[in-house]
This record gives sequence, structure tokens and C-alpha cells, in this order.
Amino acid sequence: MTEPADRTGGGAAATEAATAAEVRRLRDRHERAMGYIREKINELLKVIGTAPLRPEELDDETLIGLDPIGIVAGSFRQVLAHLNRTNEQLRFAREELQAIFDCAGLGILVIDRDQRIVACNAKFREQFGMGNADVVGHCCREVVCQTDRPDRPCPFMHTLSTGEAYRCPDWIVGGRHYDIVETAVRNQEGEVTGSVLVYSDISERFASEEALRRSEERYRDLFENTNDLIFSTRADGSIEYVNASWCATLGYSQEEAERLSLLDLVHPACDAECRERLQALLRGEGGGRVHAMLIAKNGRKVILEGDVSLERASGKSRGVRGIFRDITDSQTLEEELRRREKLESVGLLAGGIAHDFNNILTAVLGNISLAQAAAAPEDAVHARLAEAEKATLAARRLTQQLLTFSKGGSPVKRLASVAQLVEEQTVFACRGSGIFCQVKTDPALWTVEVDEGQIGQAVNNLVLNAVQAMDGNGTVLVSADNVTLGPQDDPLLPRGRFVRITVRDNGCGIERENLQRMFDPYFTTKPGGSGLGLAVTYSIVKQHGGQIRVDSKIGSGSTFTVYLPASDEALPPPENSAPAPQAGKGRILVMDDELIVREIAAAMLQELGYEVESVTNGEAAIARYELARAQGQPFSAVIMDLTVPGGMGGKEAVGELRSRDPACRVLVSSGYSNDPVMADFAGYGFCGVISKPYRLAELGAALKAAMGTTPAPQ
Amino acid sequence: MNTIEFDIRGQICPSSLLTALREINIHQEALRDRVVRLRFLTDNRDCVATIPESARTMGYASEVRREQDCYAIEVFGD
Repeated sequence: MTEPADRTGGGAAATEAATAAEVRRLRDRHERAMGYIREKINELLKVIGTAPLRPEELDDETLIGLDPIGIVAGSFRQVLAHLNRTNEQLRFAREELQAIFDCAGLGILVIDRDQRIVACNAKFREQFGMGNADVVGHCCREVVCQTDRPDRPCPFMHTLSTGEAYRCPDWIVGGRHYDIVETAVRNQEGEVTGSVLVYSDISERFASEEALRRSEERYRDLFENTNDLIFSTRADGSIEYVNASWCATLGYSQEEAERLSLLDLVHPACDAECRERLQALLRGEGGGRVHAMLIAKNGRKVILEGDVSLERASGKSRGVRGIFRDITDSQTLEEELRRREKLESVGLLAGGIAHDFNNILTAVLGNISLAQAAAAPEDAVHARLAEAEKATLAARRLTQQLLTFSKGGSPVKRLASVAQLVEEQTVFACRGSGIFCQVKTDPALWTVEVDEGQIGQAVNNLVLNAVQAMDGNGTVLVSADNVTLGPQDDPLLPRGRFVRITVRDNGCGIERENLQRMFDPYFTTKPGGSGLGLAVTYSIVKQHGGQIRVDSKIGSGSTFTVYLPASDEALPPPENSAPAPQAGKGRILVMDDELIVREIAAAMLQELGYEVESVTNGEAAIARYELARAQGQPFSAVIMDLTVPGGMGGKEAVGELRSRDPACRVLVSSGYSNDPVMADFAGYGFCGVISKPYRLAELGAALKAAMGTTPAPQ
Repeated sequence: MNTIEFDIRGQICPSSLLTALREINIHQEALRDRVVRLRFLTDNRDCVATIPESARTMGYASEVRREQDCYAIEVFGD
């Protein structure tokens, strides 16, 4: 309040002062207000993260015009809206994560650094039978492993202590198998605050794997221990795998086999059809039964039979699988059987032919003998007759060969040493050939029960074969020694003591395909060859209970080895035999179904000084013999044909005659010179034997010998 | 997309930041709809940090390029 005195002069001054004071007050107020505004703006700018306002940069008027508070407020609204959106996204993500956590098919456990449970999902509770029990805060050892033993090392501490992820592929809890993966949980500073463990129950898978492993073991056991040969190839034929039996049979190791192709193993002798079949299989054309011949590492032929199947992938052939059986031994035995059957059938035919041919030869040879007896030695016809006889004897040798493998052609065996026989036949066969022969025989060679004629013929054939293989040059090595065969030797050879005869040449050798057939009758590779030599040799050896083997290499020669069963007996001392007389006297009855034989036999016997009558069969012979006895003109001897087609032969008739006249002397005669009766005539009641065809001297000697003997008792 | 360019060279923080924030506020809908990009040319080094950081907290993305004589800061919808 002002005084009235001051209203005139002092009033203006007072008003001015009051105005000034008001201006100062308002200025102070403005400055405070701007200071406040700048201070708050700076606070807001600091929150935003920028520098405070500088007065020199923005004066108050510019600052107010810029409206920084409005700007910052607008920005904050956007920041807030962004935070809200972010929070919404986080909430959604959390709910999504929780859903995954709860619905996961794997058990999930979250633990802290002290292994206390922070969280676990429903699957984890199910896996460990927790139900709704509150396990948060409990140590996982008590809940999962159900042990409070701290001494048992827990592998899952690794992640908690190092922060590295850890996997335990097979952790067994409560009898079940779990595959567990553990990952560290870190805070903002990167420190490990706990871990998450994911439990995958692999019990079923483990059981399946265990079952599969056992199944594989069973199959592997079968695969490796079977005697069958199992293999698999790729599409190009290269071998993928083979089993132990395959390796053992073919002689290759697994590693060696895997470097081979199936086609590398096909034996050269395997026929084209078999080879084409294997190639077709590899091309993917069918499967099924296969018969194949492979070659082992040591060169041995292996005959296989089995089934193969194609292995396909995406419609293309991936390779071939097969199971084979080694039938080499049975196949060899079958071949041996077939060879025997073939020999027997051919022999049967040959025996019949030889028999008939011998009857004819009997007439031929007999007439030649008679003609020779009638002609003077210096006469030219005598020489011609000698040639004819020589040819006829050659024909007789041929029939002997045919009879050797005819049915029932048993050898006439006696105890002998083959040493001398081998030497004689070797020298004889090589004579005039230009081939050098070397014979080596064991001085202590064991004795054998042999037909010396047949074995001599066998050796002769083998040496001749060797000589012919050498084309005029080379050496034939022949040896005879003792050998005892045991389990370590060729399984196709019998066990025991044998005399071994070996004939070795260094000739051209024998083609592999011919080795199979070389003992077949009438098989020959030589121009003009009969194909009987080796067949006869084979037959002779077989009939002596022996074996014959051949090894051959083209260009190097062949080796034939004969094994004859050795005897335990020693040789008896040699006997001195006196020459048989030719002529004789007496009445002889001839029985033969062949007219030409009867006629020539009668003529020859008359030439020898005997009286002769002849009949055609056994019944007639018995009747004529009895009649002659009744008439007081008995026969001194009877010569009987062994067999008579459709009638009684000598074999039956001799018994009847001996029953009526035990003193009768009966000789057996046959074109079947190798018939068992011929070999053991005395055993059948005969006093002598004469093989057809025969010469005059042979007939005379045989008759004289028979008439000088006493018949063996029946 | 349309780009609006603002030349705030010569300004320093905080005025350059306030200018940028004002324009972001004005164009917020267009930015969120991704129909516009804001391009600020500045020669103030601090702006390279403050403008992108403020834009990020508001939910926008940004790119900074070094130009001939300034920095170009582009702000756009994330």
C-alpha cells in the first residue's frame, strides 16, 4: 500500500518501480519455467540416450517452437506400443513353448547347478511314474535315479561343470533304456545356471536292436558254419562277400575272393551253356537252378549245383546271390558209375560178338592147322597158311580183348609177381618204336592175385599208348613199387596195400575234355586207333579190384597209375612143365551147337588119331555117352561147349554125366574164354579146358592133359 | 516403396535426434505399413548411434551408410 503524498510525484515513480518489479518477477518466473522445461527435456533426452540441450544451440523460442516434449512424448507412445507388441509376442512364445514342453513325446527335465529340479514336463513324469507329485526343488538323484549316494558319479554333472553339451546313448534307469541329451542353461553373463535334459525312451528300440543282433548272429552262425557255399556278387560279377565254406572249398581267403569276379572262377572245361547262364544272371536275366564248374585256387575242378537269385534295386540288377553245394565227389562217382554201366553194356554186346566170332575162328584156325599138317613145310602154301594162322591169331587176340570187358569175363587169377611181366611187356611194346624205355621195379615187390595175360595186356596197352603219344622221340618211364594208401590219399582210392604200376611219358599230353572220355570204349583221338586199348586196360584193372588214375598236362606228358591189391602170400617155387603130346587114341564125343565147330573139331581130332562122334546139346551128349557105354564102346573123353542157346550146355551136362559115370573125362570149350567156369573148370567138374579158337597142337595137348588126370570128386 | 529424405546436416544432437523423432512420429503409420522409408542425411557422428537406437526401441529397423560428406540413416518398418 502507498502513501497519498506520493501519489503525484512519487506515484509515477512508484508505478514504474512496481512495473519493473513485476517485469523482474515475470522474467524470473519465465526463466524458472524455461529452466524447468529444459531440465525435464534433458531428462527425457537422457532416457532416450542422447546429449542434453545446449542453450547456444536452441534458444527458448526455438525450443518451444520445436516442441521437444511433444516429440519425445510421441516417441514414447511408439516405444510403449512396440513394447506391448513385443510382450504379446513373448507371451505367445512362452505359451507355445509350454505347450511343446507339455506335449513333447520326450521327457524334459530342467535342473539347477545343484541338480535340483526346476521343471519337468508331463512325459518325464510319465516315464518315471511321478504322477502329480511335487518334485520341484528335489534333487534329481532322488527322483530319477532313486539314490542319494553321492559316491556314484553322475555323468550329467559334466554339462553343469563345463557348459558343454553331453549325450548318453544308453542310460539304464529302472530296467529301461534312455538316450539322454543334456544342454546347459546360461544367464545373461554366460554363466551356467543349470541344464536341460531330454530323455528318449529307447527300450523298445533297444529290444528290437537286441533281437535283430541275435537274429543276425543266428544267420551269421548258419552262414559261416554251413557246408554250402554262399556268395554275393555285384552287377559286374565282382564278388561282394563269400562264406567260410566257399573260402575253404575254393582255397581263397575272404580278401582274395573280394578281388575276383565270379566269371574268373569258371573252369575252362565248363561248357558254354553254363558260362552263358552265369553271364545272363549278371545281366539280370532270371535266376533259379544253376549247375556250374569252377576252378579252385590250386587248379582243382569244383563242380557246384545250387540256386541263385537276383538282387534288384530300383528295378535294376544290383548283383547276384547264390547258395551252391559242392557235388564234385558225387559227380565223379556218378561219372565212374556211368562209365562202368557203359562198359558193362558194351561188354555184354562185345562178349556175344566175341563168342560167335570165336566159333567162326575155331573153324578157320582149325582148318588152317589141318592144312598146315597136310602141306609139306617147304611147300609155298605152307608159308601162306602160316600167314593166315598169324592173322587168325591176331583176330583171336581181338576177341580176347572184347571178352575182357564182357559180362562175367572174370580173370583167371593166380598168385604172381608183376615185376617180370611189367619188364617184358614194356620192352615188347617199345620194340621198334625208337622210344627209349626205362623200367624200374621194386626188388621186394609184393605179390598180387592176377590174370597174368590180362595184366600183361593192360601194361602193354598203357606202354603202347605212351609210345604213340611221343611221336617217335622221348622216354617212357615204367615203374612198379609198393604203396600203402591211407586217409591222406585220394578219397576215391580204397585204403590198403597196393602194387603200383606207373607209366609216364613226356609226350603231347591229353586235352582236358578228353580226360573224361579216354576210358570209354571206342573213344580215340589217334588216326586208325580202335579205342579199345585204354577201355580194356580200365576193365582189366577194375576186374582185378584195382584202380587206374591219369594225370596229364598238355605239352608235358601223361602219367597213368595202376593200383592192384597186394596179396599177403609169397610165391610158390616154380614148376617144371613137360611138353604135352600131340597125338592120341580113343573115342571122343564132341558136343557143340555150331555145325562148323563140330565139323572142324571132328576133323582135327581125327587128324590127331582119335575116333570122333558129335552131338548138338547136353541132352544128346548124355544119351550118346550112355548108349556107347551100354554098347561096350565108351568114350575116352567128351569135349563140351560151355553154353548152348535154348538147350543144355556143358556147364549143366557135366554134372549129369559125372553122376552117371564118376570116371568120365569132360573138357569144357567155349568162345567165352574168360567165363568163370573156364577159369575154375575143375570146380565145375571138368577135367580140362580148351578155349575157342584153338590150334591143332593146343587141342591135342589139352586132350592129353585131361585124359591123364583123375576127375576131382563131385 | 517411397523414400522421404531429410537433410539435417549442420544440426547436432539432440536437435538432430528430435528432428528425426518428430518425422518418425509423423510418418509412423506409413512406416509400419512399409510404404515409406525415411532417409536422414547428417554430418553429426552422434546421430549414427542415437537415431538407429531410438528407432529400434520404437520397433523400427534402420540402416546406416557412409556417404561422400555425411552419413545416410534410413529408418523403415521392421
